[in-house]
Amino acid sequence: MAHGVKIVEQSCRGCVNCIKSCPTEAMRVIEGKVRILSEICIACGECLRRCPHRALLLEEDEWDYILSKRPMTLVTDPSFCTQFSWPPIPELMTQALFELNFEPIFDEYEAAYDVTALAVARAIESSSDNLKPLISTYCPAVVRLIQIKFHELIPHLVQVESPLETSIDLWRARSKRRDPVTLVSSCPARIAMVRSPVGRDISSAEFAISTSKLAREVLIGSGDPSKKVSVDHPFRAPRWIAWAKTGGESMHVRSFSSRPIKTLEVDGLRNVINLFQEMELGKLRGIDYVEARVCDLGCIGGIGNAESRFLSRIKIDNMKIDFNFNEENREKLESIYDAKIWSLREKIVPIEQMPLGEDLAKAMERLKQLHAVYADLPHLDCGTCGRPSCRVMAEDIVKGEGSLDDCIFRLKERIADLSKEIYDLSKRLVHTMTPEGKS
Amino acid sequence: MSEPLVLELEVKPLDFLAAGETATQFKETLKSLGLPPEICRRAAIVVYEAEMNIVIHGGGGVMRLQVEEDKVTIMAEDEGPGIEDLELAMQEGYSSAPDFIREMGFGAGMGLPNIKRNANELYIDTAPGKGTKLRAVIYLNKGR
Repeated sequence: MAHGVKIVEQSCRGCVNCIKSCPTEAMRVIEGKVRILSEICIACGECLRRCPHRALLLEEDEWDYILSKRPMTLVTDPSFCTQFSWPPIPELMTQALFELNFEPIFDEYEAAYDVTALAVARAIESSSDNLKPLISTYCPAVVRLIQIKFHELIPHLVQVESPLETSIDLWRARSKRRDPVTLVSSCPARIAMVRSPVGRDISSAEFAISTSKLAREVLIGSGDPSKKVSVDHPFRAPRWIAWAKTGGESMHVRSFSSRPIKTLEVDGLRNVINLFQEMELGKLRGIDYVEARVCDLGCIGGIGNAESRFLSRIKIDNMKIDFNFNEENREKLESIYDAKIWSLREKIVPIEQMPLGEDLAKAMERLKQLHAVYADLPHLDCGTCGRPSCRVMAEDIVKGEGSLDDCIFRLKERIADLSKEIYDLSKRLVHTMTPEGKS
Repeated sequence: MSEPLVLELEVKPLDFLAAGETATQFKETLKSLGLPPEICRRAAIVVYEAEMNIVIHGGGGVMRLQVEEDKVTIMAEDEGPGIEDLELAMQEGYSSAPDFIREMGFGAGMGLPNIKRNANELYIDTAPGKGTKLRAVIYLNKGR
């Protein structure tokens, strides 16, 4: 399973900042270097935020290779348009990218995002009450989080494809072109979406690079496009731009609902986890749809962005966005809807974690051992053993993946015991010695 | 049969922020044992409702989780005011929670009925002034 995170071994100093930020406890430090347990990593990017040594980066494709393949078709996250001093208007972005010999496919976004919102609205309307609230699948890290930690919520995930994938599919269908597409991502999770997609066997994009890298290239390589392309005041932006910020998706979905729906928008990893815990306890009755994003403020808060998320938000808020669908395009939208291009081809399945033992009796025995081992640890969660907490350490020991001596405090105690024993031994008299110590 | 596995957690009175933590923690434990999700879910709901009762009415108490090879038992004990009319308390929608608690969205009168629905057996030992002892059993090889 790809996770979109690259470890730069030379920069990693084995400090334990990152492993303590991981929501699924998927990180360890082994022999002074960090390791990621990729099968339980959700690619949220928290560890990148925490690393003080820049030893964790986005696992993007070689930039020089992407450059060498120009003209390259690009599908950028909507948040990409908010990265610059000019307003987030796709025409301006197209101009700036065109100058660098990149070909963005913004023209497909409108249909892709409209059909996604429509599909979600219809899924909500046809869903039974016990499957509500449905949960958005737009944030790939949210999907992975549910697959790994919140199995009961899997039936709530709406079976709708990412509109970014859908826009590539629409572009290929319309242009009949087969040349590769590069996804421009603001987070490790979307990069992982290209490498190991969920709900489909293969991504429609071939390569993935970070928003910050492309944004830097645009800043260096192309002038301010608003000097070349004139845009009308007040600035208007398409509906899909709103998806860069938490709440945009819900607005869009509501605009396609035939009756009022209750949506809940939550961002930030801690909030999302709390929300899902509450949901598993059945606390969210009466809500139709949950738009959850692991990054603060939504995709504009992704670790791979160049611009401040706060400024990005202001830029979006300053735009006039019309959520009323132009009914003249209804027929076209319905035909795309009927083609089911928006639908996830495969069911999202839970990622099972190994229980402690093969059967309940063994697992219970192991858990008792685990509690006993845990009781012996200092409960400081210092991380020096390379694990995020004493509890994880106890778990690893019981699974045979560690020893008590990995704990620096236990090791100290053992050294103290040992030195006391050496001292005691040294005081013991042999028969030829007198108590004064002379022979 | 091996010795049962017992976990115990203290529940503080009126600590709404922490409420649900016992349920989450007990559920994680059951999951790590590889018990079916359905059992974990039912147990978590029972724990959560019992925990809320201790938080709201019981003035704090103790939650205990006991796992044996054929069943999961949840025990909740408090030394609160006790339940005056148990039959009435078992009715859906009946609540004796004070207004300020209802304003927080709790006290909908679904607690005990919800526990009953999710457990195979439910025993409540209570009397006014004597506190409440609740014991709910979920069998691993029986449905609801």
